[in-house]
Amino acid sequence: MLDATQASENVASVRDLKVHFQSKRGVVHAVDGVSFDIQDGETLGLVGETGCGKSVTGRSFLRLLPVPPGILAGGAVSFRPHGPCTACEGAGCEACAKTGRRASGDQPVDLLSISLQDMRRIRGDRIAMIFQDPGKALNPTLTIGAQMSEVFLQHRTAELLDRAGLPPDTAGAVRRFAAQEPRFGDGLILKFPPKRGQRAKLQVALNQMVTEALAETQVPNPAKLMDRFPHELSGGMRQRVMIAQALACNPDLLIADEPTTALDVTVEARILELIRALQQRRKTSVLYISHDLSLVRRICDRVAVMYAGRIVEIGTTEDVFANPRHPYTRGLMAAVPTAGTARGKLAAIRGTVPELVDPPLECRFAGRCPYETATCRQNDPSLQPVSGGHSVACFIDHPTGSQDAPSFDRVTE
Amino acid sequence: MNSAPKPESATSEVLLSISDVQKYYPIREGALQRVAGHVRAVDGVSFDIRRGETVGLVGESGCGKTTLGRVVSGLTDATGGAVHYNLDGTLSQIDHLQDLQARQFRRNCQMVFQDSFASLNPRHLVLDIVGRPLRVYNEASSGDLVERVVELLEQVGLGRQHLYRYPHQFSGGQRQRISIARALALNPEIIVLDEPTSALDVSVQAQILNLLNDLQAERNLAYLFVTHDLSVVRHMADRLVVMYLGKVCEAGETQSIFAAPHHPYTRALMAAKPDLDDDRAGENVKGLDGIVPDPARPPQGCRFHTRCEMATPVCGWEVDDVVRWLEDEPGMFEHLSGVERQSEFNAELAFDSEEAAAKLSMAIRSESVPAAMKSALKRLKLDGHKVDIEFEAVDEVQLTARDGGRLASCVLDPDEVAAKSQ
Repeated sequence: MLDATQASENVASVRDLKVHFQSKRGVVHAVDGVSFDIQDGETLGLVGETGCGKSVTGRSFLRLLPVPPGILAGGAVSFRPHGPCTACEGAGCEACAKTGRRASGDQPVDLLSISLQDMRRIRGDRIAMIFQDPGKALNPTLTIGAQMSEVFLQHRTAELLDRAGLPPDTAGAVRRFAAQEPRFGDGLILKFPPKRGQRAKLQVALNQMVTEALAETQVPNPAKLMDRFPHELSGGMRQRVMIAQALACNPDLLIADEPTTALDVTVEARILELIRALQQRRKTSVLYISHDLSLVRRICDRVAVMYAGRIVEIGTTEDVFANPRHPYTRGLMAAVPTAGTARGKLAAIRGTVPELVDPPLECRFAGRCPYETATCRQNDPSLQPVSGGHSVACFIDHPTGSQDAPSFDRVTE
Repeated sequence: MNSAPKPESATSEVLLSISDVQKYYPIREGALQRVAGHVRAVDGVSFDIRRGETVGLVGESGCGKTTLGRVVSGLTDATGGAVHYNLDGTLSQIDHLQDLQARQFRRNCQMVFQDSFASLNPRHLVLDIVGRPLRVYNEASSGDLVERVVELLEQVGLGRQHLYRYPHQFSGGQRQRISIARALALNPEIIVLDEPTSALDVSVQAQILNLLNDLQAERNLAYLFVTHDLSVVRHMADRLVVMYLGKVCEAGETQSIFAAPHHPYTRALMAAKPDLDDDRAGENVKGLDGIVPDPARPPQGCRFHTRCEMATPVCGWEVDDVVRWLEDEPGMFEHLSGVERQSEFNAELAFDSEEAAAKLSMAIRSESVPAAMKSALKRLKLDGHKVDIEFEAVDEVQLTARDGGRLASCVLDPDEVAAKSQ
């Protein structure tokens, strides 16, 4: 894969991740040995069909999987949080591309083995997530302002106290309010002087921070939006709120799980533009999960194609789209109707995604693959590099000992 | 309301004719559930479907395309206008059909729904689901029935082994195949397909689209293909009807619309989703600002003018546009205390302070409002804490015939639209 010098610039690397689910029919191998790196500041697209394990991979970064029935069967997700830039002490210089932060020399943490408290510190702060359906991901009983505030109360207590003009060592009910750790009776204390004034100052500072975060996503009139409930907003506007919430703490890694699937195409284009602009300005790394190939091609630097719990092809967007090596990638691309396709002549991939209950030792795509040979039924291909940064798990480029390799026209126009 | 012109349809037999169909849903308010207004889901749509052709119906969510599909298949009654169906050579209005004729229409017009999970009864076996129409119409019974169902299942790529299973035992693509088998059971003449592939993966979508095409070629079926996916509709449809906010904004041959869209909305839809093999992917991708306006109070003139980037002063600017614009301006909407309308184009905006009123009259003269809206302004009078606004009154933009049997409802002509979008 990548050599050692590059490895230091990875924000996160997934190594042999295995997530299984216990079901009545047996153990489902939803993610079965996935390895990839997310480089600093890049957008990595993760594409594949329903049920190929892309969402599970994304969620395992934040340990948002139900365990049980989920089983973290092995592997590691190491994450290297950013530290302040050493050259400019956070002021913003050329070396850190004016962000004031850069990948630090800290030891990476393994997200799958750290304690729940540490995980909570990382969630929403260093790694944030945008979910598919903003209607379900936002709390319908809280106003936009209230749920946006939670992010700052949870992760930005010090900054909040500073903005409110309160000393950083403020203790008692006010601090507990600012750190979102209310205790019985705090509500009463904060209602009366002298704490009442401090509470009001905090609220002003908090509203200011929320307004700023919302303004980043180009919502019109953010101050008015704060008093609204999610159901009062359109789908596009809700997704903007989600993005504002995710980017509020300036995370190092953003996991976007099909953020535009529930939106109209015209709104989708705007939201993508927004994610792209914010990502480029802040140099956030993005893991973009989607089933839409044209969309991934538009916004991603690198693409990983997943099939049945495995990554079957990974490489730069240009490489993968100009010269797809895996028959599955080719099949997916051919299945999208385009201007030139004759009516009724779409190249469908035959069959369906196999059930992943105790999968046999063979290529997972065998049975649906048009280039299948006997080798594919007896051996399990692993991800092998074909050219700089482009790897494929198929015997086409790496025939096994039997030399019984399938063949196709390697270069597409 | 005068009926809009229809696309020409002389070449082959008209199977179904939709003329000026309206579907309004009442908005009820208060303890007595008084009707306070109507959501105009479909507001005067006309087109024909000929035997054996596919008509694509596209638009954003909330534009009324699904409602229209349901009206066509007789699942809901139209508030106004009529749907005529060709029964033995004569066009009959579908909601006036009686007994035998009604049965004949219903067996000839079937529907496939978007969510195959919700549209198949989870407690019925595939045999019951697909065999039900045959039983209801006394087409087959007991022994014969099983054979007929197997035949249908084989046509959609399933088999005898699937007869005694429940819907939950199938994948999304297979369930959609069952829905199609059920729709085919009575050998219909037209099938209304309501987003049949939007819940499916691309590879499965390709299978279903191929299947639909094969069936059409075999049985000379007509399809009304309701979808929001332009690449699918380009692949499937002979003719295209583009809807926006309950109205048709463009109609015509699919190929010619894709070659040169005459309406800015069609153009925006196409620009938002480039092809996979488009080398310019990534550049020139434009979305639309704002949201679809409230269908209970559709904009005057052209309904798209609020989001149109090439809007002109004659597109129907009105008081609501000012209010909408105010909503997004910090520090102004809060001071608006009342709107007193004389008409859609003339109103008095009352503010709670003279300052705010002055600020508005300044802002409207400045660069911050759309230029077209500014030039459409006839009168702007500041009177204390009130601002009197009047716009040029404009009639609703009608669908007009263009070259090559096309229809479009835009005040600009196609060359101007093409030039402005460069």
